[in-house]
Amino acid sequence: MNCEVCQLKELDVEYFEIREVLRCILHTVFFHRALGLVRPKDIHLELFEITYVQCGDAELEKKVDEKIDQFIDRVEKHPNKKNQICLSFFEVKNKQATWFTHKVERLYWEQWYINLNVAQHPKPHSGKSHHSKLTVHPGESASDERNARRAALESSLHEVLFQIIKFVNEKKDHIPPIPNKEGVSFPYEITISSSSDSAFGMDMIKRMLQTGHPTMLS
Amino acid sequence: MRPRDKWFNLALRDCPAALENIDFWRQSNLEPMVVDVVLVQRPVNWDYASSSPKVAFEQNFLSKDRFPVVWKSDSDEFGCDGHSEKVIERWIMRYESKKGCKEGSSGNKRSSTITSHALYKKSILLLRSLYVTVRLLPAYKIFREINSSGQIRSFSLVHRVSSSVEPLVRRDEAEMQQFTFTPVDTSCGKLCISLSYLPSISDTTSESSTPMSPQFITDYVGSPLADPLKRLLSASLPQYSPSSPFGRRHSWSYDTRMASPPSALPSPSPTYSESRTLHSKFGSHRPPISSRYSSLEPAQVHTKDTGYDEYFPSPNFSPSPSPSPPVGSNMLKVLLRSDSAPVYIPASRLGDAPLYSNKTVLPFSPPLQATRPSLSLVERSLSIPTTAGKLLSLRGEETARPSGVKISLNSSPHKSSSRSFSRLSFENSYDDSEFSGPFVVDDDDTIDPGSRPGSSDRSGNLGMQHECVRSQDAAVGALVQMLKKAPPLQQDLNRSQYVSKTSRPEKSSNQILDHPPHASSNVSSFSRVSGIKTTSDAMEELKGYLDVKQI
Repeated sequence: MNCEVCQLKELDVEYFEIREVLRCILHTVFFHRALGLVRPKDIHLELFEITYVQCGDAELEKKVDEKIDQFIDRVEKHPNKKNQICLSFFEVKNKQATWFTHKVERLYWEQWYINLNVAQHPKPHSGKSHHSKLTVHPGESASDERNARRAALESSLHEVLFQIIKFVNEKKDHIPPIPNKEGVSFPYEITISSSSDSAFGMDMIKRMLQTGHPTMLS
Repeated sequence: MRPRDKWFNLALRDCPAALENIDFWRQSNLEPMVVDVVLVQRPVNWDYASSSPKVAFEQNFLSKDRFPVVWKSDSDEFGCDGHSEKVIERWIMRYESKKGCKEGSSGNKRSSTITSHALYKKSILLLRSLYVTVRLLPAYKIFREINSSGQIRSFSLVHRVSSSVEPLVRRDEAEMQQFTFTPVDTSCGKLCISLSYLPSISDTTSESSTPMSPQFITDYVGSPLADPLKRLLSASLPQYSPSSPFGRRHSWSYDTRMASPPSALPSPSPTYSESRTLHSKFGSHRPPISSRYSSLEPAQVHTKDTGYDEYFPSPNFSPSPSPSPPVGSNMLKVLLRSDSAPVYIPASRLGDAPLYSNKTVLPFSPPLQATRPSLSLVERSLSIPTTAGKLLSLRGEETARPSGVKISLNSSPHKSSSRSFSRLSFENSYDDSEFSGPFVVDDDDTIDPGSRPGSSDRSGNLGMQHECVRSQDAAVGALVQMLKKAPPLQQDLNRSQYVSKTSRPEKSSNQILDHPPHASSNVSSFSRVSGIKTTSDAMEELKGYLDVKQI
């Protein structure tokens, strides 16, 4: 089975924007990949004039938030500029179990790379708390610049969402049959990586394609 | 979880309107289904009075899923009524049967072997991306903006469904971006969905709407925004949809096909003045209103009154005393009960036109500034030649006339309406010698001569009793006020008799004045006993008075 890869456009974000941006992107992907019965839930971003859709699955939300927390922790500890989150979908194949091998094999059929360029300067106010518009320094003289940057990010995020939609529309044949069970999503994993090296993303892809088993933090 | 949700693993809310509207498509699903999302914008200097009834449907937007269907043939960007319409999204759904179907971009040539499983999977994906896409388009922002607050907007969204692709305005067409969803192949054809949308709606809403809308409203006389106190009042009050005179003026004649349930927009000012709710209620359709809001006690007076007002300037305005106004049965009942026997007022007040001799002139609701704009509206809707001069002259004539006659029975609904104003404003304005003036009403149109308030009240249904009784109170109050201000008569007539007769109604009128807007149950219990008689008695008095005046 071929593994389709979607590299999403890189976004320049500030620290406090990470959570919203990641939620928005991840859930949008999940909404297109959780093909079980869902009850869509509209979510309006606080920082941007954007509405995205969640599957309405609490478990999924929880997992996504956990991963985002991990990501934010990591960004805080290792303030590398480039950060990447990979959302991979796979099928589980049972292998002949032997004494020394894994019993299951993951066959990756799709990977989404979310590329974030986290701005260095802002210091986090409150760790991983939920940020909102209010946390932005209101009286700064650079507010215009900030607004312009915010608008640019909004526009970019918008593009990324459309990128997802386009990808979803163009690539359908590689998707395995919808599992006939209650679980809303295909099996997935979210991996986090970061590097100051711009080429690291490609390395990651290569590695993942070769091994089919990303090992970082998953 | 309903079975339908499992079709495409998507649990959505019901949307009956949408389901109904695809019926035509079911009959011939080879025709395309074109759904246009239209931004309707009123110009900034929009003249309420001259606006077309089309406005009425504009406020019926509720949600993306619940747009009213508006079947329209014209796609002019600028209608002749001063509204600008712009197609901001166009969705075209088409099922291409296999015969004429060249294989599309999907590259899937295995259509004959397509399993239903794959078909479902792709359909599910299509619907998911549709669902997400809709929320990313500019129209959704507007939609949210409209629904996010009770603020009155100068724009609205409607949608149209048709089976033919109407040409768009060329400029818009050039600006539009295209998005084609990958067709879903079936065994005998494929389902194609394409989208054109304006990537930015620059000229109107997105940026300018927020600052513009309040400004627009502020300009309007009597806007709740003009008075912080009233705004405060309105904010603390339950949100429902009372109607405004402006809504009425427009709604009485708007096309019924565009009628849809009243929008759930909160009104800025349910209690203070109807006029102040301005055009927020264009979408309200009156007839079923009393039943719809039957649980909203404070709203009842309003809804009844608005219903009344809505109908008296009916398009078929007729001076005849025929008791067959175009009124819903509830409305009719209310009206029948709220007044007693028709009063024929021989005094010719409207330019000596005998036709109008049986009409009465309303002492319109006291807050002058709030009601004045509606006067011209009414005049226009009545097709009476409208000039400010004439209006003024009429008003002048009214105030110059012996004052007794100027207040008619027909004022009762308005009186009860004015009771819903804050007490302060009511009393203040009540002292104002210059009533807002000439408000021509065909009294007899709405009153059944055979229905005396006493009988109809007793047999009336419970739901309407309050309004009925209140109206009587109001009628009595108005009458008393009227009789009190009739100096010429008091000189001419047997004065002592007159005064003694009016003493009783006066009591109830005081009660009205002393009561806060919504606390009317006491009044009701009182006047249910005594008010009926006093009303008719007072009527007699009035009649006698008028006769004497004629002599």
